[in-house]
Amino acid sequence: MTADAFLFWFLALITVISGLSVVLMANPIYSALSLAMTMISVAAIFVTLQAYFLAGVQVIVYAGAVMVLFVMVLMLFDLKHELQAFTRGRATGALKIASVGILSGLIVGAVTIGLTIAGRSSEELIAASASGGVVDTTRSLSEALFLKNIFGFEALGVLLLVIAVGTVALSRSKGGTHARD
Amino acid sequence: MTSMGITGFEIVINAVKLLIIFLLMVQAVPILVWLERRGSGFIQNRFGPNRVGPLGLVQLLADAVKFLTKEDFAPDKGNRFMFYAAPVFALIPGAVAFMAIPLSVPLKTPEHVFLIQGYDINVGIVFILGVSSLAAYTILMAGWGSGSKFSLMGALRASAQIISYELALGLSIVGIILLYGTFNLTEMIQAQHGGLSFKAFGYTLAASWLPNWGIFYQPLGMILFFAATFAESNRLPFDLAEGEAELVAGFHTEYGGFKMLMFFIGEYAHMMIASGLMATFFFGGYSIWNLTPQEVYNWCYGLVGSEQLANVLSVLLHFVSFSIKLAIFLWIFIQVRWTLPRFRYDQLMDLGWKTMLPWALGNTIATAVIIFATTYFVIG
Amino acid sequence: MPIGGVIFITLFIAAFGTALIYLARWTGGRAKKTSQAKFDIYECGLPAEEKKDTKISVKFYLTAILFILFDIEIIFMYPWAVNFRHFLNTGAGLTVFGSMMVFLLVFIFGLWWEIKSKALEWD
Repeated sequence: MTADAFLFWFLALITVISGLSVVLMANPIYSALSLAMTMISVAAIFVTLQAYFLAGVQVIVYAGAVMVLFVMVLMLFDLKHELQAFTRGRATGALKIASVGILSGLIVGAVTIGLTIAGRSSEELIAASASGGVVDTTRSLSEALFLKNIFGFEALGVLLLVIAVGTVALSRSKGGTHARD
Repeated sequence: MTSMGITGFEIVINAVKLLIIFLLMVQAVPILVWLERRGSGFIQNRFGPNRVGPLGLVQLLADAVKFLTKEDFAPDKGNRFMFYAAPVFALIPGAVAFMAIPLSVPLKTPEHVFLIQGYDINVGIVFILGVSSLAAYTILMAGWGSGSKFSLMGALRASAQIISYELALGLSIVGIILLYGTFNLTEMIQAQHGGLSFKAFGYTLAASWLPNWGIFYQPLGMILFFAATFAESNRLPFDLAEGEAELVAGFHTEYGGFKMLMFFIGEYAHMMIASGLMATFFFGGYSIWNLTPQEVYNWCYGLVGSEQLANVLSVLLHFVSFSIKLAIFLWIFIQVRWTLPRFRYDQLMDLGWKTMLPWALGNTIATAVIIFATTYFVIG
Repeated sequence: MPIGGVIFITLFIAAFGTALIYLARWTGGRAKKTSQAKFDIYECGLPAEEKKDTKISVKFYLTAILFILFDIEIIFMYPWAVNFRHFLNTGAGLTVFGSMMVFLLVFIFGLWWEIKSKALEWD
């Protein structure tokens, strides 16, 4: 077994184990920390695929910002009350079945769309590597962002602004500590 | 090309190199603590530890033995796994990030080229920033595993402080990346060799008695970066997380014995990363004043006469230069700690969001405009 | 491949830390329950009590969400900064510069609005 294959199997094993422990653990904080571990191992798999910048961004934004938010907020709640609320009952059972169905639909859809996109854009990559050049992902990423899809890029900035406004509005809901009277 | 792990021999050498750098970091912590205690005594006009061993140097060994013989307990109400996992996790981000910093010129033997750093990551800065941002988990795990409301509040406030200053940290680096056009730390150091020379509007301004260091191009970026790293490593004046007057000892109230020492190893590791990055971005890394490595190598060759020995000698000289810069910044960390008073928490958050973030943005825009203007409009 | 080195040293440090904790436990001994106070949490000497419905302020959540948003915007600046000189040299400099300046304008407006609406007041 070559070093690359060993690395891949090791990282894949860690990703699957952390992913499973997100769903199977009873304590929500353990689930959140396992999710952070999953993000980090996915970033390591990105590195083996030579998408270095994406791996760094995955660690900075996902594991270092989003999961910190999750863990911070989860630690503020009284967990025992929350743990018992969702274990039994018919509504809860229906909810569980519905969420499994939605998840499988999402996975099938993602794989189908991914196969069509991979079929299309791999021709560019094959042409680029056939001409002998190294495909530098950061440079092509910035070309795509700042030259070809300028409108999408600016729309993304406005979207982030909308999220900020919505968050501040949400934090001022009635009954909270920042409520506006 | 660098040889990083194709044959078995190289894999073994690189693994040994990683272990040596990690053990160097762990061994540097007692020295730093001694420096801090003697230095603070010197600043406050009193003796530091001076009984145990010459100049009090063995004090830290005595402290380590004392900590080892303490009883090991965990609070009843807390989460035992988190309580024990948090100090172990405190060591990881600091050490992993420090290994990406280049310490010296590569060592060339006839068959191999060895880098004097743990590993050469292509996206150096992004990797270091990402791994440092995992330090927030240590604090949260410690605060929650202690099972007490005080520890939890202390942990939440400390992690809110850390994430606020991560923004200023990430943004103050953008000016340097604009200037050098690369994420790779080795290439940044290579761009800082030689004398000061700047291409503007088609002319070249040069003052070759000054080194080509980043501080002459990005002074505001240096100040912002340095201040943000103080907040990242929870050092005064930003150490509300450990502020004795406010929340007893914050997130590590319930810790005692060796687990508490491991938190401090993590804090000093963050200090070392901050000093190393300051030296790399703004002070030329391992380069000696305004000499390029080729000039240093030629001088060594003239001194010693054989290629191998000249290479080894130049590696050592560059390593000493890097260590001197590291030591100067670590001393500045210690000096600032014992000089400035501590911030109040709302002053701290205001500083992070309302002062440092706008200034860092202004720095980025100004750098971009200057680079654009000096490259686009060619006069001469 | 450097990621192998990263994984190796991470596992080693985790093992090293765990070994240190076990060493401390072996040399110091586990704490015997000689008094309940040893295993209680610290509350300045008084017996600890917990109220059931303490309201934790929502400002932690706000700080974290705003951090995520501005972190994403900073992440967009990194590929721009790395390739800025390259684009200047190959002639697309004005477009790249302009598009990022518009984005930064939206960013600055967001920051200004968020400061003005006192979303981050810590009292």
